[in-house]
Amino acid sequence: MEEFFNNIKESFKEATLEFETINIKIDSTEWIDVHKKLRDEFNLKFFSWLSAIDWDNEVSVGEAPKDSVSPSFEIITCLSDLDNTNLVTVSTSISKSEPNINSLIDVYAGANWHEREAYEMFGINFENHPNLEKLYLPDGYEGNPMLKSFELISREVKPWPGDVDVEGMPEESESDGSVDG
Amino acid sequence: MVNALDPQNMNRFSEASVSVEIETEDMTLNIGPQHPSTHGVLRLVAKVDGEKVHDVKPVLGYMHRGYEKLAEVRSYPQITTLVNRIDWVAGFSNEIPFIAGAERLMEIEVPERAKHIRLILTEMARISSHFVFNGAYALEVGALTPIFYAMEDRERVLDLIESVTGGRFHPNFNRIGGVKPAAGAGPTSKKNIQDLPAGFYRDTKVAMEKVIQAADQFQNLIGGNEVFKKRTKNVGVLTAETAEAYGVSGPILRASGVKSDLRTQTDYLPYDQFDYDIPVGENGDCYDRWDVRVKEMVESAKIVLQAIDSMPSGPLQAKVPKVIKVPQGRTYVRAENPKGEMGYYIVSDGGLGPYRLKVRTASFSNVSILPIMLEGALLPDLIAIMGSLDFVLGDVDR
Repeated sequence: MEEFFNNIKESFKEATLEFETINIKIDSTEWIDVHKKLRDEFNLKFFSWLSAIDWDNEVSVGEAPKDSVSPSFEIITCLSDLDNTNLVTVSTSISKSEPNINSLIDVYAGANWHEREAYEMFGINFENHPNLEKLYLPDGYEGNPMLKSFELISREVKPWPGDVDVEGMPEESESDGSVDG
Repeated sequence: MVNALDPQNMNRFSEASVSVEIETEDMTLNIGPQHPSTHGVLRLVAKVDGEKVHDVKPVLGYMHRGYEKLAEVRSYPQITTLVNRIDWVAGFSNEIPFIAGAERLMEIEVPERAKHIRLILTEMARISSHFVFNGAYALEVGALTPIFYAMEDRERVLDLIESVTGGRFHPNFNRIGGVKPAAGAGPTSKKNIQDLPAGFYRDTKVAMEKVIQAADQFQNLIGGNEVFKKRTKNVGVLTAETAEAYGVSGPILRASGVKSDLRTQTDYLPYDQFDYDIPVGENGDCYDRWDVRVKEMVESAKIVLQAIDSMPSGPLQAKVPKVIKVPQGRTYVRAENPKGEMGYYIVSDGGLGPYRLKVRTASFSNVSILPIMLEGALLPDLIAIMGSLDFVLGDVDR
């Protein structure tokens, strides 16, 4: 893992290693080239998933970020290597007004459904995708449910966070807790 | 309606030549969403040219519950209840990577005993999932008997899970920092927290021996059956390269000859303390996918037996704050679930719930391979190939 991280660092200077995962942040124009490179030169052939995060300060659902963020979509892919324990996430940021990014299908065929999901859930447009249709939602559905501005009906009635249940934890036990043997 | 007996028409018919090249029109066949062999509500729209299938389009979303959205308005302990229901055949194993992710961000060290209990129950969930697969798959390719054996044997394992967690399918047993006191353990007090129900070790040993016997029985009953072999050998061959590009994982990937198992590659549970094999297939066909799972059942039973013998004593729960707030950060924790790689990408902003929770499920990627595998397959093989992927729609749609 250390050795692999050093190799990655030679190509991607800003890569970080956190919780056994290598994170690479790139510009959205390099999206395809970086993935090709990771696949061919670093042998990251296993495409685990692709998804997005909606960064926003005005949040109708859940809690707003503590620090102010610049509103944008972050797109993340997760790649791994089957023989080793190497795990890499690649992320890029695109603007909300023009949410366009190149499709990864030519590099990883498995990106197909993941991109369709991100398209319907966030409204991100994957250019050159052969079949950019809704995956889960019915055809006539309007809106992108995973946006932070998309409010859940149940939360309009009962606002978040509501009553948080706190379960009492047993205090420190003196015995080892075993009854069986 | 033309009267063929009319003399005027007779002449016309006799002159009609037989066209050698018959022009056929593709038929669109709609399978599901309510089809017994689709394991839920998967719908396939296939074009059928005679007996050959092409251009298969899976239509998803009938089971879409929007976990990722629901998780944004829930606290971490509440999400544990939710994620149980993703892959309901192996509910327990869905909790593990989520809890492990939250613990990792909170930097909580889980007591060894809690880890062992988690490991035992995860392996039991795997066994019960593979039992269902064995019964259901045999049924799909035309053998009625095995499902009765499989369900009976699975019940023994589910009883054990129930005796510890209180639930057969949705245990909701994990807590951040450990596991809760067992359901069947009797009254608990602050001084004496009981964890496993009385007789659990004895019953588990009996049940695991039965699992090993059952796997052996399946090898004869299903694997030894000539019809089963004919229906599954060299059917639906999947190469390792295609599988990797599509993110296909778990037993399907191993059946294609890739020795990849997250249990040995990551440390979400202490699998490195036990001795077990990782069964790998050769051809990547339906038979191998079945074979790998049957062998895995035996290995899982071996792991459980070892874990019972080496069960450490100690507390069940690490010290955690009363209100669980996960520090700012992000992590991806993956686990080897019965159906493949399952993982949670948690983006926390230091609040009560995650800012974003990405759920990576195994069946989603495994099913995305269907259009490739079914291209040009025979119609009767469609069900055999689909069944061999062993997916659950809750795991596909999330």
